[in-house]
Amino acid sequence: MPANAPAKNPPEERLVNLVVALMATDQGLTKDTILTSVAGYREQSEAGASKDALEKMFERDKESLRGLGIPIETIGDWADPDDLREARYRVPSAEYELPEDIEFTPAELALLNLAGGVWSESSMSDDARSGLRKIRALGIPVDEPIIGFSPRISLRDPSFPALQQAIEQSRIVSFPYLKPGEESPRTRRVQPLALVEYEARWHVFGIDVEAGGDRTFLLARIVGPVVVTREAFDPVLREGAGDRALRGLDEVAERSTSLLEVNPGTEAALRLARRASAAEQGIRVPYVDIHIFADELASYGPEVRVVEPAELRDQVIARLTAARDLNGARS
Amino acid sequence: MSARRPLVATDRAALMLQLVPYLIGKGEVSIAEAADEFDVTPDQMRAMVEKLTVIGLPGDGGYWQMSNDLFDIDWDLLDQQELIVITNTVGLERSPRLTAREAAALLAGLQLARTIPGVGDTDLFTGLLAKLARGASSTPAEVIVAPGPVDTVRDTVAAALRRGVAVSFTYKAPDAPPTTRTVDPIKVHIADGQWYLQGWCHLREAMRTFHLDRVSRLELTDIAITHGGEPAPGWFEPGEGDVVARIRFPATVAPLIGDYLDRATLETSDGITVAAMHVADEFSLRRLAARRGGDVEILEPSASRRAAAEWADAGLDQYR
Repeated sequence: MPANAPAKNPPEERLVNLVVALMATDQGLTKDTILTSVAGYREQSEAGASKDALEKMFERDKESLRGLGIPIETIGDWADPDDLREARYRVPSAEYELPEDIEFTPAELALLNLAGGVWSESSMSDDARSGLRKIRALGIPVDEPIIGFSPRISLRDPSFPALQQAIEQSRIVSFPYLKPGEESPRTRRVQPLALVEYEARWHVFGIDVEAGGDRTFLLARIVGPVVVTREAFDPVLREGAGDRALRGLDEVAERSTSLLEVNPGTEAALRLARRASAAEQGIRVPYVDIHIFADELASYGPEVRVVEPAELRDQVIARLTAARDLNGARS
Repeated sequence: MSARRPLVATDRAALMLQLVPYLIGKGEVSIAEAADEFDVTPDQMRAMVEKLTVIGLPGDGGYWQMSNDLFDIDWDLLDQQELIVITNTVGLERSPRLTAREAAALLAGLQLARTIPGVGDTDLFTGLLAKLARGASSTPAEVIVAPGPVDTVRDTVAAALRRGVAVSFTYKAPDAPPTTRTVDPIKVHIADGQWYLQGWCHLREAMRTFHLDRVSRLELTDIAITHGGEPAPGWFEPGEGDVVARIRFPATVAPLIGDYLDRATLETSDGITVAAMHVADEFSLRRLAARRGGDVEILEPSASRRAAAEWADAGLDQYR
């Protein structure tokens, strides 16, 4: 739209006008009233825009605002709730506003400021900042900022936003998933329940529709777009899913423990120490993903030797062999 | 501050809904400060404020709205002193609820903050989690950040930061002999589950960053820190060195190579990438080559390539 077209108001003005109008009414406004009186629609009504086009615009605006979390209520006909011709619309302020009884102490606000800053460049960083702004606008004094710590979470997986949206809406997703060692990806259909960062990698926890059981997928292995289907599932399934996912990962780590011998004082000894427990000969280190752990162990070269399990040892040997051969003398 | 990405109409509407309560809370605020708070440019902030004054309650019977049905600001203050003061409101006075996503982003951040020793107690966190959940417009997607193990090294560093005293410790950088350091702690960076201490190193007389997993025998000293005000340079200084290396790998593997590529020059053709980068010495890339066994080939220098082959071979020797 050219800058010098004053006849048409910018859509954000219309959206905000609509919120103000819908909040100012208790009994609700009909669509007709909205289209002829709310600024943004009114001018276009008066300029002779078709009713059909205006109604479509109103539908889109409603969806946009609901996307922002604004609760637009539809009050239908008492006798026939499906008849929306005389429906009235309103935004109940109790559901729009941050509840009056929610107050934040200065210490809480300082902590939230720290928590809101953890996301590096990502949509989550914008969301955190926007959430903080809403809370800061309550005019709460803040304690001295918490200095000395700069916690960061990185989010490089492109599949994250779509999965998050699907969880919010309790809808089934499908995505191509490439398991290490397999030639090509397989499409998975999943009821996604929680996103979990575990040992610096993002996972989606959910119910695999075909397999019919809880599964945890590594986002780094989702090799194509995540499709959010129209198929919904019962949101009750989401309750406590995060705890279930964490328990599951912890159980995997407990079941899969390696026995390693490390050379003291080396990088391997230092980096593994925090996760290790002492064994009679060497150390025991749990892991959740054999491929990722084998990557790490291979990088330590002669600093670590895998005693068991055999599968882990074989994987490390395979990496070392390939690295040696690829970087060997040129033939 | 996050990067300023282009805003769509819905984003701008969301900002305006937040702007009214913010301005009321502030009473009087400069354009610059408000722009900073909202991550927009001062010009965008001015435009938002001006736009606000044409917004108001619906007009009656086709008439334009009366002025007291519209938001209004003190125009003189805006024009002459770049100050924003809202003088009439017609709604939106209180902050909107958090969206599910905003709540999720803060909730996940809190889980990470919770792992820091001495920052907030359990009651504080529990209270905040409940408030955020109640302040959201719909149930946020669960985004969980699993806490990593916190050991005495981390506890002690946190204590040193609180008390403002130096710490002494043994540091073992990869492929280098251990050294004993005394450091004025400035900041702890936590990234990808790894903890790094940034501080003024008395031995090197400069700012240095230490990976806490490589720190041992850490002790508090009673030396008060003297370099707390030193400017902290970018905390990561990767790829600094005199050796220019070139590595080759399938382009699809690039995300798995990570930091190494941050300052590399990349050339990709037919799905194969060649990256050129500065590294500290010929040993720098051998761990990467082994980690990505068979995917990363070191092209030059030949000493680097040889080191990678020998490293892998020495690892294999253990299994013969």
